[in-house]
Amino acid sequence: MNDLFIAGNQHKYILSPQKRNRDTLTALFFLIPTLIFFFIFIIYPIIQSLYYSFFNWKGFGPAINFVGLRNYEKILTDSVFAKAVGNGLLIVVLSLIVQLPISIALAIMVRNDMPGRSFFRTIFFMPFVFSESIAGIIWVSMFKPDPSIGFLNAIWTLIPGVKPLEFLGDTSQVMMCVFIALTWKYLGFHMLLYMAGLANIPREIEEAAIIDGASNWQIIRNVTLPLLSTTIRTSVYLSVLGSLQQFGLIWIMSKGGPVNASETMAIYMYRFGFMRLALGYGCAVGVILLLICLIFSVSYQRLVKQQDYLGGLYS
Amino acid sequence: MTRKLSVILSLVLVCVFAVSSAAYAADKVTVRWWHIFTEESQKAVCQKFADDYMAANPDVTIEMTVMENEAFKTKLTTVMQGGNPPDIIHSWGGGVLNDYAKAGLLRDITADLDKDGWRDLYGAGALETYGAGGKNYGIPNDMGMIGFWYNTELFEKAGIKAVPTTWSEFLADVQLLKDSGTIPIAVAGQDKWPAMYYWTYLASRIGGKAAFDAAYDRTGSFADPTFVEAGYKLKELIDMEPFQDGFLGSIYNDEGGLVGNGKAAMELMGQWAPTVQADNSVDKKGLGDKLGWFPFPAVEGGAGSVADAMGGGGGFIVGKDAPDEAIDFLKFINTAEAQATMAKAGMVIPCAKGAEVGLTDPFKLQIKAAVDNAPYFQLYYDQFLPSATAQVINDSIQGLFAGTMTPEEVAQAIEDSAAEELG
Amino acid sequence: MTEKNTIQSWKKQNRRSLIFKYIVLIIIFLIVVIPIIMLIFGALKTRGELATKPYTPPIPPHFENIQKILNQPDFWNMLKNSLFVMLAATAGTVLVAAMAAFSFSRLNFRGKNLSFNVVTLGLLFPMSIAILPEYILLRQLNLLNLWGIILPEIAFALAGDILILRGFFMAIPVELQDASYIDGCTNLGFFWKILLPLARPSLSAVAVLAMINSWNELFLPIVVLNEERLYTLPLGTMQFSTEHGTDWAMVLAFVALSMIPTIIFYLFAEKQLISGLTAGAVKG
Repeated sequence: MNDLFIAGNQHKYILSPQKRNRDTLTALFFLIPTLIFFFIFIIYPIIQSLYYSFFNWKGFGPAINFVGLRNYEKILTDSVFAKAVGNGLLIVVLSLIVQLPISIALAIMVRNDMPGRSFFRTIFFMPFVFSESIAGIIWVSMFKPDPSIGFLNAIWTLIPGVKPLEFLGDTSQVMMCVFIALTWKYLGFHMLLYMAGLANIPREIEEAAIIDGASNWQIIRNVTLPLLSTTIRTSVYLSVLGSLQQFGLIWIMSKGGPVNASETMAIYMYRFGFMRLALGYGCAVGVILLLICLIFSVSYQRLVKQQDYLGGLYS
Repeated sequence: MTRKLSVILSLVLVCVFAVSSAAYAADKVTVRWWHIFTEESQKAVCQKFADDYMAANPDVTIEMTVMENEAFKTKLTTVMQGGNPPDIIHSWGGGVLNDYAKAGLLRDITADLDKDGWRDLYGAGALETYGAGGKNYGIPNDMGMIGFWYNTELFEKAGIKAVPTTWSEFLADVQLLKDSGTIPIAVAGQDKWPAMYYWTYLASRIGGKAAFDAAYDRTGSFADPTFVEAGYKLKELIDMEPFQDGFLGSIYNDEGGLVGNGKAAMELMGQWAPTVQADNSVDKKGLGDKLGWFPFPAVEGGAGSVADAMGGGGGFIVGKDAPDEAIDFLKFINTAEAQATMAKAGMVIPCAKGAEVGLTDPFKLQIKAAVDNAPYFQLYYDQFLPSATAQVINDSIQGLFAGTMTPEEVAQAIEDSAAEELG
Repeated sequence: MTEKNTIQSWKKQNRRSLIFKYIVLIIIFLIVVIPIIMLIFGALKTRGELATKPYTPPIPPHFENIQKILNQPDFWNMLKNSLFVMLAATAGTVLVAAMAAFSFSRLNFRGKNLSFNVVTLGLLFPMSIAILPEYILLRQLNLLNLWGIILPEIAFALAGDILILRGFFMAIPVELQDASYIDGCTNLGFFWKILLPLARPSLSAVAVLAMINSWNELFLPIVVLNEERLYTLPLGTMQFSTEHGTDWAMVLAFVALSMIPTIIFYLFAEKQLISGLTAGAVKG
């Protein structure tokens, strides 16, 4: 028991062998439910998908037509899949340069004791409560091209002399429309994450900066943002994974069209696996998506660790 | 190791959560009936069939699962892939049914149809839609065709005297409509299938039955001149920009609304079009007596006749594990009387002989006559062909409408898929 | 210049920027709220009105659609099913995730990193990809009922929630754990008696996320549920779609009604949620 009092040296304490044995037993007990859920509902389906991805299989009857890596070959040479990957990256980039800065700005704006703060906070978070399909339905109606039906074109055509925009019907506008809807839905969630992070920065640090004569912008740049880095990492991580896997909202809004202009990897997978009944092929797409996410996840954690050894990604 | 572990864990889960499936007494038979009549009054008709049958056969339970179109397809695909078909299943026939039959997921009801003259209730062509490889797996319930639904008032205003019977007349009328300041045609580009009708109808008018059959049995090809020319003919229309703004992002509801509210002059659509137009119009009535219908025009010099029809409908197929009671129930919901009831409720254009008495709508009668008298009836390409090819057809034709694919590329893309799926 | 003066002049500067701030906030407020208002407008219109002028105010408002839904026994039955699924999934998620997060944040054991990485896999793998193996499995386990929705929902919510909770748990000072052991607490005792009560706000944060996810889940119920008496609310909008068209006015009315419970939950939990997330970030 004596080692407990070695001046709070946690490392030494935690690594003591008796504690470790006791911890292992407890951990086993505490992790069993999670592991059961994971092996049954996640690991097992992943293994199944991997297995089927080597077959040319419609999903009916046993999978017998083994094709090796041919599905993968076809996917990786398909220009539509390349488009899907590109669109995924586009959403990632747009999220990082538009959505995240806005949500940080919002969080900073509504943090002070200003009147109406909780009202704004509640409203900004509200879209997150909507399901993706409902959000999609609402935004489809906003983007209707006919100005007498679509609200956004009704506003747009108030400018004299402009033609109504085609929005979801135009291959070059559709991704922007989809991104606006995605931002609308997820802005509040990220704002909330940042508010949590901000609440944790002691006011004294910023006040000290004020005394040193720093401007608002200087404070945010040199004090607030660096202290927010842990939250930013979590938010970026969740945002990138969500962007890469995006399905529901886009499916409702554009079905990946027109002519594949808003295709994402998950939509590509669904179209092949479910609509074209090429299930083996669809599984291979799923495996590739998983790998891309995995590569991102691992390299991101590496990167973050290199930057700041102590600040863990999720802590 | 992992496998063993997961087996053990699954067993644990089974013990913890398994719910006894022996809810029904052993001697009671359950018939699982999946259909897509979600609308309240139509669902009630189905429920009444089930209730009446259960009242007459107390040892049978009819379990109805009703799902909306898209959800139904997703669910059925998963369940079929899981090897566990329900007993009576809504079906559109064609390529998907073929896949099910090949995988042994359906029950062969050829012998049942031969008994007591059940077979004679239907036209041979309609019944064939629900068969594969010379065997019957189901029966037709609804059969109609695609044609142009138009607004007679807008046609008059544009100075069109008679409905077009040839493609060049049609194009000229489109120009007249455009000049008169209306949207000539509404089309749902995002949904793809409404756009697909144009190309497939043109192909059928140009090449007739022979061209399609040759491409299908692989003595010909979908890259043959017929199918390339269909693309060019269609391109003539597309280049006139006859559609509503942003049509590539429109869904079928939008299309129906545009015609139903008198904003667009026509749409190429199936027997259900007037209902959807009415549902999406301000007064819920649609075009009323301003509505007109004409068949897809002939292409000059084409092998197909203007009387040839392209269409489809719905039917019911029987799952592999279906008990005999399921077939008995299927007969029960498909007698001439039952079909007449469904026709009266606006659910179907009936296929059972003698059920026409339920039809009062003049357009539906007109369509039924056109279907019955068609020298060549073709099930929609996207139903008839294997799912993969069907999707390629829809995707490529969308490309043609968007101007990103040429007629040759469209034909070649379809041929590539057909070569793989049918070859 | 004294410190006080500097802060005051900074505050003056702030007052000016406060106006700017409000302008920005109000613009974003409008962007966020207009689509929600459209939904409410749509819920109070007839189908024809919605098809022709969807964004004008519903004058006069039509409450028939709402009434019609409220008079359906099916609606209340779906509400009941959704509530059951949501409560079970949320309770399950929170409990299981808390236990795992405790192991990952406060205990040391062999294979910790490995098992943690396995758990992160859950974030990388959306359920829609695995729906067929998932379905076959559920059928074999005889789970084509509400449990067949609840259990996978828990499994797929775990990864994210464990990540979030782990961060929160780490923020609780180690000294507390040490002290509890001196008082003779076991690991289990520390978890139940000290950690969980302390982390209650962050648990409710995770619970709100789990509730929202569960309430909106559409894909699983479509595939898993066969009997109408088991349908959850997201399946309810299907009854307004026929083979070739959808009554959007009814859909919007249904959606608006079915949103009410989640919004109420959210408003109740909001305070907890924000303080929960805040408490979790204490560590810095």
